[in-house]
Amino acid sequence: MTSAVVCGIGSWVPPTVVTNDELAARLGTSVDWIETRTGIRQRRVVEAGGSTADLAVEAGMRALKSAHLDRADAVVLATTTPDYPCPATAPEVASRLGLAGVPAMDVNAVCTGFLYAAATGAGLIATGVAQRVLVIGADTFSTIIDPADRKTTAIFGDGAGAVVLRRGEPGELGGFGESGEFGGPGELGEPGELGALGPFDLGSDGELARLIWVPAGGSRQRSAGLAAPAADRYFQMQGTTVFRHAVVRMIQSVRTALGRAGWRIEDVDSLVSHQANARILAALAAELGIDAGRVVSNIDLVGNTAAASIPLALADAARCGRLRAGHRVVLTAFGGGLTWGATTLRWPDITPM
Amino acid sequence: MNDVIERIGKLLTSRFGVPAAEFSAEAVLSDLDLDSLALVEFGLVAETEFGVKISEDEVSPTDTITELATLIASKVA
Repeated sequence: MTSAVVCGIGSWVPPTVVTNDELAARLGTSVDWIETRTGIRQRRVVEAGGSTADLAVEAGMRALKSAHLDRADAVVLATTTPDYPCPATAPEVASRLGLAGVPAMDVNAVCTGFLYAAATGAGLIATGVAQRVLVIGADTFSTIIDPADRKTTAIFGDGAGAVVLRRGEPGELGGFGESGEFGGPGELGEPGELGALGPFDLGSDGELARLIWVPAGGSRQRSAGLAAPAADRYFQMQGTTVFRHAVVRMIQSVRTALGRAGWRIEDVDSLVSHQANARILAALAAELGIDAGRVVSNIDLVGNTAAASIPLALADAARCGRLRAGHRVVLTAFGGGLTWGATTLRWPDITPM
Repeated sequence: MNDVIERIGKLLTSRFGVPAAEFSAEAVLSDLDLDSLALVEFGLVAETEFGVKISEDEVSPTDTITELATLIASKVA
């Protein structure tokens, strides 16, 4: 199968910072309560009148620049907070990037969105629809959070991250390949070529949809013709139950993706999971047997940015030298749906923008 | 029962940062700084240690170690 290779990465967060001091005062809680339960010290929020597309355009532009490209052949945007209920946000993002005319669509898998969008982008390449796909994760959860809900208000932040996927050469499969060997940096055509996405594991469980949801605003509520209670128009999450499902599903998904790639836990240089909550990251790593030194995290600075969190964490880690070319990286995420997923790649030699 | 309490103590002191001096059968979970998320984490660890599933609605931060041990013992039996 034709592989998809990461050849550029960019990220963007809005300039407005919300600190725990400000939140604690506004929500009637303490800085300590927020920090011990979430591991988050600050988050960014979009300015009044700003939108998901604004963040996505900035991150997309940076990813294209990082890939030394002017164009991509398709745009896939992972988001749960589109600019409008209809149409999708991706076509506007594509046009604002000067890519008018290319196929463009949104993918909604909530916090697993980036992995679903990356798999979708890899599929567009495998089917020959596109040679280069811009995959963006962008969310503005500050626009759907209930201002009276201290838990979700403390956790979520706004941001965007993007990668460019290009069509790989034959044999550029992720993982160690059948022989159990892997290529070194720049060995094009060898199994495990740098940046090639490994096999994906993706899954869902709709029976638990209501653990993470916005009850009103969709067809179920609108067809009833009744006004919805104010709280139902906001994002709602059953935190402790979600915590358990998140850890259990990401453990399973990581093990499955590693197995398909032919990697062992000890082969992993970096675990980059959806930045949901620092304690979920710690529990996940402990249960997998991955020591804290191999866990990539930037949640303390940006909070949970939903679909943006994995590319934001990757870009930040690459920028500070925490991720280097050749590192064996496993990506995993969990989110509303429920949805979850994982994949692998050996980090490519790229400069994040 | 004492065996279960002892094993809980080992898990809490080695994995959850509970000081050994503060652990006792009568201790209340929240007094050991175990909040609702810690109890979910404990449930995951206990699944491996005791081979039983503990869901988050079965245990509360206001429970004592003895109450937690009774719950686990009833599931093991």
